[in-house]
Amino acid sequence: MRDVLSRNIDLIVVGGGPAGLAAAISARKEGIKDLLIVERNNWLGGILPQCIHDGFGLIIFKETLTGPEYAQKYIDEVKKLEIPYMVDSMVLEITPEKDVIVSSPKGLFVFHAKAIILAMGCRERTRGQIRIPGSRPAGVYTAGVAQNLVNLKNFMVGKNIVVLGSGDIGLIMTRRLTLEGAKVHAVAEILPYPSGLPRNIQQCLIDYDVPLLLSHTVTEIQGQNRVEAVVVSQVDENFKPIEGTQQRIPCDTLLLSIGLIPENELSKTCGVDLNQITGGAVVKENLETSVQGIFACGNTLQVHDVVDYVSLEAEKAGKSAAEYVLGKQRKVKRIQTEAGNGIRYVLPHFIRRNADLELFMRVTCPGKDKYIGVFDGRKLVKRRKFRKIHPAEMIKMRLKGSETKNIKGLRVEVLEK
Amino acid sequence: MVGCALAREFSKFELKTVLVEKEGDVCCGVSKANSGVLHTGLYYKKGSLKARLCVEGRLMFKKLVKELDVSCTLCGKHVVARTEEEIKDLERLRDVGEANGVRGLTIISRDLAKKREPNVDSLGALYSPVAGIVSPYLFTIALAENASSNGVNVYLNTKVVGIKQVNEGFRVTTTQGDFHADIVINSAGLYADRIASMVGIDQYQLYPCRGEYLVLDKDSRGLISGMVYPVPPKVAGVLGVHLTPTIDGNMLIGPSAEFIDVREDTRTTEEKILELMTEAKDLLPSISLKAVIYAFSGVRSKITPPGEKEARDFIIQEDLAGFINLIGIESPGLTSSPAIAKLVVQMVKEKRDIRQKKDFNPIGRKTVRFHETPREKQSSLVNEDPAYGEMVCRCEHVTKREVLDALNNPFGAKTIAAVKYRTRAGMGRCHGGFCLPKIVEILEKEYGMAAEEMTLKNTDSPLFIGRTKDLRKKGA
Amino acid sequence: MKKEMICIICPLGCSLTVNYTQKAIQSVEGNQCERSLDYAEKEIFNPERTLTTTVRVKQGHLPLVSVRTNKPLPKKLLFDAMDLLAEIEVEAPIKIGHKIAENLFNTGVDAVATKNVGRSQRNQ
Repeated sequence: MRDVLSRNIDLIVVGGGPAGLAAAISARKEGIKDLLIVERNNWLGGILPQCIHDGFGLIIFKETLTGPEYAQKYIDEVKKLEIPYMVDSMVLEITPEKDVIVSSPKGLFVFHAKAIILAMGCRERTRGQIRIPGSRPAGVYTAGVAQNLVNLKNFMVGKNIVVLGSGDIGLIMTRRLTLEGAKVHAVAEILPYPSGLPRNIQQCLIDYDVPLLLSHTVTEIQGQNRVEAVVVSQVDENFKPIEGTQQRIPCDTLLLSIGLIPENELSKTCGVDLNQITGGAVVKENLETSVQGIFACGNTLQVHDVVDYVSLEAEKAGKSAAEYVLGKQRKVKRIQTEAGNGIRYVLPHFIRRNADLELFMRVTCPGKDKYIGVFDGRKLVKRRKFRKIHPAEMIKMRLKGSETKNIKGLRVEVLEK
Repeated sequence: MVGCALAREFSKFELKTVLVEKEGDVCCGVSKANSGVLHTGLYYKKGSLKARLCVEGRLMFKKLVKELDVSCTLCGKHVVARTEEEIKDLERLRDVGEANGVRGLTIISRDLAKKREPNVDSLGALYSPVAGIVSPYLFTIALAENASSNGVNVYLNTKVVGIKQVNEGFRVTTTQGDFHADIVINSAGLYADRIASMVGIDQYQLYPCRGEYLVLDKDSRGLISGMVYPVPPKVAGVLGVHLTPTIDGNMLIGPSAEFIDVREDTRTTEEKILELMTEAKDLLPSISLKAVIYAFSGVRSKITPPGEKEARDFIIQEDLAGFINLIGIESPGLTSSPAIAKLVVQMVKEKRDIRQKKDFNPIGRKTVRFHETPREKQSSLVNEDPAYGEMVCRCEHVTKREVLDALNNPFGAKTIAAVKYRTRAGMGRCHGGFCLPKIVEILEKEYGMAAEEMTLKNTDSPLFIGRTKDLRKKGA
Repeated sequence: MKKEMICIICPLGCSLTVNYTQKAIQSVEGNQCERSLDYAEKEIFNPERTLTTTVRVKQGHLPLVSVRTNKPLPKKLLFDAMDLLAEIEVEAPIKIGHKIAENLFNTGVDAVATKNVGRSQRNQ
């Protein structure tokens, strides 16, 4: 590719959201000089600038910040450390040889990178993916897109809303749209329990008298050109609609908050192994993927619920990338972790023993007063009691080096008693 | 599609030609909601218009797609037999095809079929090498835009509400005013019977028949090499679902076939979605239904009543002097479209003296598809025009320049759909998650559109109710 | 009287059961910390919420600036505050912390910007 602008670089950080920013800052602090953040929006901060509600930063900054304020702290640091970044720039492809091809109004660039940190974030599940029957009118929006339009672009998506999915995004947007004068007629949730945090049920639904229809889903969208109504139905234990329970709700907007999917198209182009359950890369405890020198963090690795943990994870990735680039990475033997009973997934997938370690996991069902145990075969290595566990809340467990000394395997389970 | 093919064909002559369309863009009906297949002519009765025009049309496609700069691939088709009885059906199909002039049809063994389509189990297959795929909407839009550049006036949002025979022709009354026409070609598809009856031609009855489809993620494209069709089923309740690769790299499952009451009913239904999924998995066990990214449907204009066994032929006739009806143009409508257009022009030529233009330009506007351009060329495109460097659709890698070019179409269509069908923005796995806010911003900043003017597909499909503060401001 | 509520102070979101009279809280059950006792009292007698929303911007590189109340507002004033803020158009440049509206409805609560918005390059 002779006419294409190309150069060598130590580190490319793909994505300038909370993960990318924190990773770049950490890599710079660890000594990487030649790095670049590539961001496809025309702003830094990723999803945060549109998350105008508060609740961010409780862990790292010990105060409750709004999304934009949290992002600004990292943006200020990036600027202070003079970390180069490009906005309106999208990585089109990453080769297995770590060539990063970037398209931007300034030109097409190829960076021959020593290390790459994948921080692309995630996308929303769409109507098409859950195959909601009915017409295909205007007025069907995923909650994140509606949030962008309402909070960043100054467009009001509708007046009479039905929300499908009681995850935090759906709840936050219920409140947001209600405050802006719309009426949210119902939030339907297919599970028998809400998927968002209880405090959001209080401050987004109960506060505004919005009915929450558990074990319900949208079974039809009506309206030839613009949404005119949705039909919601109750579902059984197998999530199949129960005949005769259909309820037609006239509305002009359907908001979908039906799940987030880690974005990994680029991971595929460079041959990074992906895990089917998380949708993200298979990683070691230093967040290196199956390709040497490529690291992953943030929502592209696993969908997070607390941005503070994204930043901490990204910091780790930045450190590891720096280690790699500066030739300090040591070859280490690792064992594979396993998600046992009641655990949906555990990260990282490969760990080194005899070193302090943090495990991240999600459970399959909600529970109260449960023990989560870490096992080496039949032997219990550690257990911890949790007052409340919920699939919507990521769980962290720390293990000391001494606790993983010479273990042959590591399996995490929810204990029966 | 047929209307746009006709417009282009007529634009080769010294005639004042006008194309009227009731929707907000061309190609809004079933022309965009079909399999995009170039048929070989396997299924049609020898001597029928369908058989003749399908074969003729297919042969015209090679040159036509080159002129119009539209991609077309001969990906081939395997009709697979899964029972011994079905092997006999393959032989029957081959014979019909050969009698219709289709060449290259071969029945292949189970082993060879497995080699060709490793993910499909069969006892044997009928292989048709010349079956092809094309983008039905890119093709239709290209036909219309070339017709327009050759002098055809395209009137959108123009619905015909009455036609009266007058001296020397017809007065066509529309929602945007009256036209006087010497010749009227009725290619109104789903509404062709109603248009015909406006001039007293009452013998036609159309039976709308909906076909639902599922679209699979491009990741699934590799599961089949060409089209995979089961033997047409003889039992009721079985769709005989086709697996069709698309020219852009997705896979289509479908269509279903269901007679419906309301012609506009392009809903997708729980029932059909399930049937499509089940039959697809039956044909191709390694299909993951997690790969479904979209479901859509189109409504066929059938003249064959439900229950009638043999499909009726196309009706292309001048039922009234100067009034040519095209009724029941369903499959193989796409393949036949260039030949249909030629036939209709021939019909007009026979009765009137029409002169060929010397300056007809068959070459359509060259469209750049950044995603399909080699990297060096991409680089020079961006250097010449920075709008090529900004990605609007991240799933399909559609650039800002392509979006602007789409919005600058000669018909003035500035809807999300106008962008979608010209550029593919919004057709990827995130289905507008990234590109919609960007396209909206382009409509606002580059075209000065107000919030209420932004629509999905026509003036009745607004995206917004206004600005964020509108419901709260005084006087709201 | 009895009321069930979810404490919103921290992500734990404890389910509280509060017994109270017209004048005072009698008991709170289900809490895991002290802060929820204050929350319960406020929530019964004078519920309040932090308001986060957007305000229109003039001459800015963005059409809206995100804002928050610097202290919680009485819950009953939220929609009134939204109406008031809908009438405001603030001129760029705006910095985080910039007061957009002061002393809303005499509560001593201000609405402050939570985003930096620079001046627009083009004429609007």
